Amino acid sequence: MASRQPFTDTDTADEAVRATCDDATVCKRFATSKGYWKDPYIQYFVRSVGERKAPEINRGYYARVQGVNRLLDAFLKKTQCDCQIINLGAGLDTTFWRLKDDNLMPRKFFEVDFPTIVARKIHYIKTKPPLSKPIIETHSTDSLLLDAHSLDSDRYCIIGADLRNISDMEEKLKKFQLNTDSGGPRTAAYLLPTLVLTECVLVYMSPSQSSGLIRWAAETFHTAMFINYEQVNMYDRFGQVMIENLQRRQCTLAGVETCQSLELQKERFLRSGWEHANALDMIAVYSMLPQEDVGRIERLEFLDELELLQQLLQHYSISWASKEKLSLGIIWLF
Amino acid sequence: MTHLPEVVTEEKMAEAANEAELLKEKANKYFKEKDYENAIKFYSEALDLNPSNAIYYSNRSLAYLRTECYGYALADATKALEVDKNYIKGYYRRATSNMALGKFKAALKDYETVVRVRPNDKDAKMKYQECNKIVKQKAFERAIASDETKKSVVDSLDIESMTIEDDYAGPKLEDGKVTVGFMTDMMEWFKEQKKLHRKCAYQILVQVKDVLSKLPSLVEVTLKETDQLTICGDTHGQFYDLLNIFKLNGLPSDANPYLFNGDFVDRGSFSLEVILTLFGFKLLYPDNFHLLRGNHETDNMNQMYGFEGEVKAKYTAQMFQLFSEVFQWLPLAQCINSKVLVMHGGLFSEDGVTLDDIRKIDRNRQPPDSGPMCDLLWSDPQPQNGRSVSKRGVSCQFGPDVTERFLEQNKLDYIIRSHEVKAEGYEVTHSGKCITVFSAPNYCDQMGNKGAYIHLRGSDLKPEFHQFTAVPHPNVKPMAYANTLMQLGMM
Repeated sequence: MASRQPFTDTDTADEAVRATCDDATVCKRFATSKGYWKDPYIQYFVRSVGERKAPEINRGYYARVQGVNRLLDAFLKKTQCDCQIINLGAGLDTTFWRLKDDNLMPRKFFEVDFPTIVARKIHYIKTKPPLSKPIIETHSTDSLLLDAHSLDSDRYCIIGADLRNISDMEEKLKKFQLNTDSGGPRTAAYLLPTLVLTECVLVYMSPSQSSGLIRWAAETFHTAMFINYEQVNMYDRFGQVMIENLQRRQCTLAGVETCQSLELQKERFLRSGWEHANALDMIAVYSMLPQEDVGRIERLEFLDELELLQQLLQHYSISWASKEKLSLGIIWLF
Repeated sequence: MTHLPEVVTEEKMAEAANEAELLKEKANKYFKEKDYENAIKFYSEALDLNPSNAIYYSNRSLAYLRTECYGYALADATKALEVDKNYIKGYYRRATSNMALGKFKAALKDYETVVRVRPNDKDAKMKYQECNKIVKQKAFERAIASDETKKSVVDSLDIESMTIEDDYAGPKLEDGKVTVGFMTDMMEWFKEQKKLHRKCAYQILVQVKDVLSKLPSLVEVTLKETDQLTICGDTHGQFYDLLNIFKLNGLPSDANPYLFNGDFVDRGSFSLEVILTLFGFKLLYPDNFHLLRGNHETDNMNQMYGFEGEVKAKYTAQMFQLFSEVFQWLPLAQCINSKVLVMHGGLFSEDGVTLDDIRKIDRNRQPPDSGPMCDLLWSDPQPQNGRSVSKRGVSCQFGPDVTERFLEQNKLDYIIRSHEVKAEGYEVTHSGKCITVFSAPNYCDQMGNKGAYIHLRGSDLKPEFHQFTAVPHPNVKPMAYANTLMQLGMM
């Protein structure tokens, strides 16, 4: 463990990035309380529903959650759950618990985030039975492996690490039985299809750091898919405004360069070892979600200015890349 | 992974039912101790064993209500009734969930059902009546006739006996009147994010209510050859941008008249500052400072989009009530030199509406769900001919032919409206017959749009557009919800 360093600019920047975790959780908490989608577990990470959020924010989160979940579920069904999932920069995400409820658990679900966030999440898990019970239930022995910055069980593992320090992160993941293509026999028995997921994570690191991470994923896993949700079309007025606003919170979008266009979001995978890549903006995703449910959520709250939603959706995207016959076309959305 | 169907015997079912009951008892205990997390957990377990028990759903619904998960509460209540449509508590739960979600009509239906099934139940009757009151109140707000006997907040206010503390260093009315000095001081006070004393706010509101109530629903003004009127669109609580308009275009005065075309409040962080400033100028220059009502000068919008929250936080609910009354007296349209018509939204869902019809609108109310008053506040132009269902779900969208016919019938040249954000701050459509002006730049700290205002000279009545960009403002979250873009780490 490194000796205590003085508080630097990067520490401030990192702290600002960590704070975005709370933004997401709080917004999801509000949206679920209004009935946009079901998440019975998020209340254990943030108790109070909190201040009202604007309707376009709620709809934006709805589109994100539905979009990412559909891709995730398609991967699980295609691999018949005989796979592993790694959520990088997972924050206080509740996907593991949803998958357990839906009987769609992978062989093992890994989450990685900054140590301070992981420590918080572990604390919530430890103290809230609705969170710990599903983990204990799926574990073979009575006790879980637990310390300040990691929790390991048979089906769920969470570790504290810095995503920009890839070798350190990989070491920690391997310690908890992450399955990798380490040069051994390339058979189904040895190589688990792997899904790597990043939601608004890559944009906070430099383009070279994020391409390092994307390349690591391509080289470490034989049969794999990568799902990335984050900003896109950022080189316009809206993007400028967002960058300025976040700067005022000491939060830098270091990776905004790769958020220039859908093309670039695809290309970053293709030139880092991935065979196929797709990218859609959230306007497209929103229009492809089951319209009956979209109709239902649109009736939950009246949106006074549709432009606000359109603009929001236009500046976020889901991209996904795959290698080794794991290609999932746009069909996953239907 | 698929679930293989289990072979279930009657014995097994009875066993499961028993265990489920025990779990329910456990859950009830937790509920009594206000440990709703555990209550929900054990109700859920009970339901796992016995999924066709309405009581479990109903109880869990109540636990969800306590943890503000209204969506779940509603789902559970509905489930309970699916299992057993005669389970009275299920109707109660669903009604309560709907009330929490603001769906009062739906709630009333369920209370009605209970009363019908249990005509002697006093509690059921009371709940029905309470809900009915709320529904009626809301219907009232949409009713055709305004209620003359409705009590005004003004009657219960005693402004005279409100005292201003010695340590209040802010602006005060001079002899109970708004003066130029007061306005300058107040704008400076607001700029420094300070609060106006409630007595002054009440004085302004009571006086402006009086002034507005004497205006017709259609205000007619005449611009002389040498006059110039500045028309602004939505400002939406963006006080610092309003100050910038005054900086760029000069402070309002009898020689520098202004018309603000609605949507003064909501979404922006400084709605109170904007509206008190606009009302102050209305009192100072009643004949040369004009305000029209927008769709955001209504109770429903204020409740959802921040103004009500802001007033309640900075002052009181009673003051918001008074704002609501004052908004109801805002005129709906303005006609300039009998040639240019200004309204916030747009034209009508049906042909044949005349200026006289607008003049005759009884406007002292919340706008109805449809009709001319609703259209004036809500409609939008569209590029194609004819009318379409509005993307907003209220009123309509009207095409160039509709505009043409309306102008011809009423001998007008063109209309100016607002209501929609535009990247350039304004937009000219329908071959110049329908102009949109929007004066909230970088709307919601997100859109990056320009703002604009229009100069209208009495000499030629041709619109001259002036654009401007957003100025910085203090980092204050809009009331009632977090600043949109601050959330946009979306992360």
